[in-house]
Amino acid sequence: MFGNRDCLTDYDPRESRNKIRVFIWLVSCAFLLLVVRLGYLQVFRGDELRQRSEDNRIRVQEVKPLRGLIVDTHGNILVDNQPSFDISIIPEIAKDVEAVKNKLTNLCDWVEGVLSFKKVSQPSGRPFVPVRVGRNIGRNKLAAVETHSLDLPGVIVDVVPVREYLYGDMMAHILGYVGEISLSELGGGVYAGYRADDMVGKYGIEKFLDGYLKGKSGGEQVEVDAAGRRLNILGRIVSVSGYNVVLNIDSDLQKICWDAFQAEAGTVVVMDPRTGAVMAMVSRPSFDPNLFNRGISGENWKGLTTNPLCPLQNRAISGQYPPGSTYKLIVAAAALEEGLITENTEISCDGTYQMGNRVFRCWKKGGHGAVDLHRAIVESCDVYFYHLGEMLGVDKLAEYATKFGFGSKTGISLPGERDGLVPTKEWKLRRFREPWQKGETTSLSIGQGFTLVTPLQLLRAYCAVANGGTLYKPRLVKRIETADGQTVGDFTPEAEGMIPISKKNIDILKHALWGAVNEPHGTGWALKREEKDVCGKTGTSQVIRLPDDEEDQKSEIRYRFRDHALFVCFAPCEDPVVAVMVIVEHGGHGGSASAPIARRIVDGYFNLEQERRMR
Amino acid sequence: MKMDRRLLINFDWVFLGEVFLISAIGILNIYSAGHNLYVRGEPLYTKQIYWLLVGLVLMVITFSVDYHTIIRHAYLIYLISVALLFLVSLYGDITHGSQRWLVLWGFSFQPSELMKLVLIIVLARYFSDNPQEGYHLGNSLILLAIVGVPSYLIARQPDLGTALFLVVLFLSIVVFVGVGWKVLVSFVAGGVMLTPLCWFILKDYQKERILTFLDPERDPLGTGYHIIQSIIAVGSGSLWGKGFLKGTQTQLKFLPEQQTDFAFSVFAEEWGFVGALVLMFIFLALILWSLNIARNSRDLPGALLAFGVTMFVFWGIFINIGMVLGIFPVVGIPLPFFSYGGSSMVVLMMGAGLLLNVSMRRFMLQP
Repeated sequence: MFGNRDCLTDYDPRESRNKIRVFIWLVSCAFLLLVVRLGYLQVFRGDELRQRSEDNRIRVQEVKPLRGLIVDTHGNILVDNQPSFDISIIPEIAKDVEAVKNKLTNLCDWVEGVLSFKKVSQPSGRPFVPVRVGRNIGRNKLAAVETHSLDLPGVIVDVVPVREYLYGDMMAHILGYVGEISLSELGGGVYAGYRADDMVGKYGIEKFLDGYLKGKSGGEQVEVDAAGRRLNILGRIVSVSGYNVVLNIDSDLQKICWDAFQAEAGTVVVMDPRTGAVMAMVSRPSFDPNLFNRGISGENWKGLTTNPLCPLQNRAISGQYPPGSTYKLIVAAAALEEGLITENTEISCDGTYQMGNRVFRCWKKGGHGAVDLHRAIVESCDVYFYHLGEMLGVDKLAEYATKFGFGSKTGISLPGERDGLVPTKEWKLRRFREPWQKGETTSLSIGQGFTLVTPLQLLRAYCAVANGGTLYKPRLVKRIETADGQTVGDFTPEAEGMIPISKKNIDILKHALWGAVNEPHGTGWALKREEKDVCGKTGTSQVIRLPDDEEDQKSEIRYRFRDHALFVCFAPCEDPVVAVMVIVEHGGHGGSASAPIARRIVDGYFNLEQERRMR
Repeated sequence: MKMDRRLLINFDWVFLGEVFLISAIGILNIYSAGHNLYVRGEPLYTKQIYWLLVGLVLMVITFSVDYHTIIRHAYLIYLISVALLFLVSLYGDITHGSQRWLVLWGFSFQPSELMKLVLIIVLARYFSDNPQEGYHLGNSLILLAIVGVPSYLIARQPDLGTALFLVVLFLSIVVFVGVGWKVLVSFVAGGVMLTPLCWFILKDYQKERILTFLDPERDPLGTGYHIIQSIIAVGSGSLWGKGFLKGTQTQLKFLPEQQTDFAFSVFAEEWGFVGALVLMFIFLALILWSLNIARNSRDLPGALLAFGVTMFVFWGIFINIGMVLGIFPVVGIPLPFFSYGGSSMVVLMMGAGLLLNVSMRRFMLQP
């Protein structure tokens, strides 16, 4: 039986003592191992791991600045900032990201793809940093997320300002839109200092003045716990709001233009001939820039980019059109100034003009008979200008066209402006390796052929005639101010130069433009107001040249082959204060399609002025 | 049972002092770990004080009864403990996906913790009964059964850490008894051969833990998280530590299980290398003192009991701190007298009682 002393007698303590001595050594070695490891972690790697613990607890959060506002010339807000709600996930807290993702998706009936969990699964360098999965969720979805926040560990909602374009598609082409900076933009020189995730202007003023609008980011050093809760703010750099931009645009006038222009495609530009200030600019078709704020859907984007009418194009500066008869002003100016004709020079028009073996026609079958310069402009006689073209030659014409500002960008503060084209003999040789044909000059003299102008260029040239010769740079931006209203930059009228036309000749031309509107047989009769104060010129730019026998069937010509209708005018005749350019794409005749639109705008402008004076 | 005056004279106050010192530091540490933690009801450090007091009572009972009496009832105690493990597998409380707790009169209790101590007692009895038997291969089957049954039951809870702990404890005692190298080799060879088999028995999360131990960064959010955050906590303590209640890893709750399995990380973060070294020194002193008790025992059962309990404490320290420092995989072994845990604390205090028992009776058996 155990426990009696007999069995204890054969216990030899010495044997145990030897074994225990061995165990003392083993235990000491084990402790040494632990101590060495402890020393390695705490002493050798102490600084590194101290830093890692700081990284755990201290997070530097960017405080994004408010983007500057854009207001019109009277201070009406055009672009505002509205709070929106972003959803982020802290993967370390969510633990089971997949489950949280499913819950979120179910909760809000989100379509697959609206939430992007791509970045969540990628391990980031720093733990406990929220990863954004959804931008700009609506208020009802926000409510759903907030009520179920207990079921959604690691899901946080941030309030982020988002752009709101109060006028929607009406001013889309002027204001543009913003979007998340793209990878290709990030590397570039213009965007040095921008960071991934920044919102940048992508189009319009938003893009052109992004540097002023964006403001300066601030930062906060925040202590957070493992759940990502902010405990203390350790340091703070205040963000600086972006500058506000004041435009020359008059939103009331813009609305008048927008409403007046109901055609499918085309553009309206309104300028102050005295200063070059752009008061309205409409391009149709348009788009809603607010779509981009909410993160444009693939469907919408595809709709915009594949639309054959290119809604994203600002036709006022990027559209290039043959100027048609509106160009006759420049041809006439050149011929007068070169002394090739006087205002009394008469040319007989029988409806046709022979150049080599080609016959060019006047728009009026049977011709105008004997016409002087005034009547030639008033009734837009083509044959008269065919002769002027022949007298001037292509290069002389180009010289004058260039001085009227054609063939190069006007320098308006918008991205995407085009040069237009002023053809010369040398250009043709270079471009087509073919010599210039005389008949091509004939086409040029009535604004057809190779010549391409942007609506803004054309309007500016007419403004130069209107104001007595000064070619102004078109100005969209009036002023840039700090958020509290201090002026940072004031944009005063900038004269690019004078058109080389004498005062006398300018008066002759202006009188002719007045006649084109106010005299019998004038092509711009639609603008004949009671005050008889509008000067203007119609234009019809051929898209394709039609065989003679099809002339009568114009209404049946397919839309895209129809002529563009142009009208450019200014008023009042003496000391003009407003100039309007209208192009209706494929609208047919300038006199019938564009002039009525211009009429509504001119009327609207003066009514507006009167209303404002009354107030 | 007769109380002798000599018992009081020979009472090992130094050992008891060491136990109290570690427990006190442990409670302070649990206080810090729970400082910023919202808990309903009693904070854990006060609960740990209660457990210490309960343990103290049981310790007094344990050392009052002559350890020979305890050894005499070893098999009965063993059977009761195994029965408790059975009960756990039938009626146990399930938390965190494993069934480890038995709820009695409102108290939760882990029979697997008790089993550690009971295994020591039953092995002490077996090897004392059969001082020569260990040399025979045949009897190793009985030994395998003694350790195998509870290990299996615990592994099924599943609590692989504690099951393996029993095996490690068993092997330590076997080595101490000095079984023949044949037996030892057969144990080891058997173990090696069973290892690949184990891989198929293991649950997915257990496999994951082992893989993560090999490469913690493999899954930094899941199982690797514990190890990474613990290493950061320990290392960031640097030489002098961040100060009591000032460990950011602890107070901001980046460190998981900071009052239980990772209590040492808390201490190392707040007290630095210097503090951790002092604590390690106290632990080493406790172990060496206990080994000395085993050495001074006048009979084999006493030596075996004292040695077994020492190994119980030693492996607890070694595995827990090794785990916290990232040299062992994450297994749920608490740091003796230091981590929060009622069952662990009570059982360890009973173990301490056994050591005191052996220590104070070393002069009673002069031949």
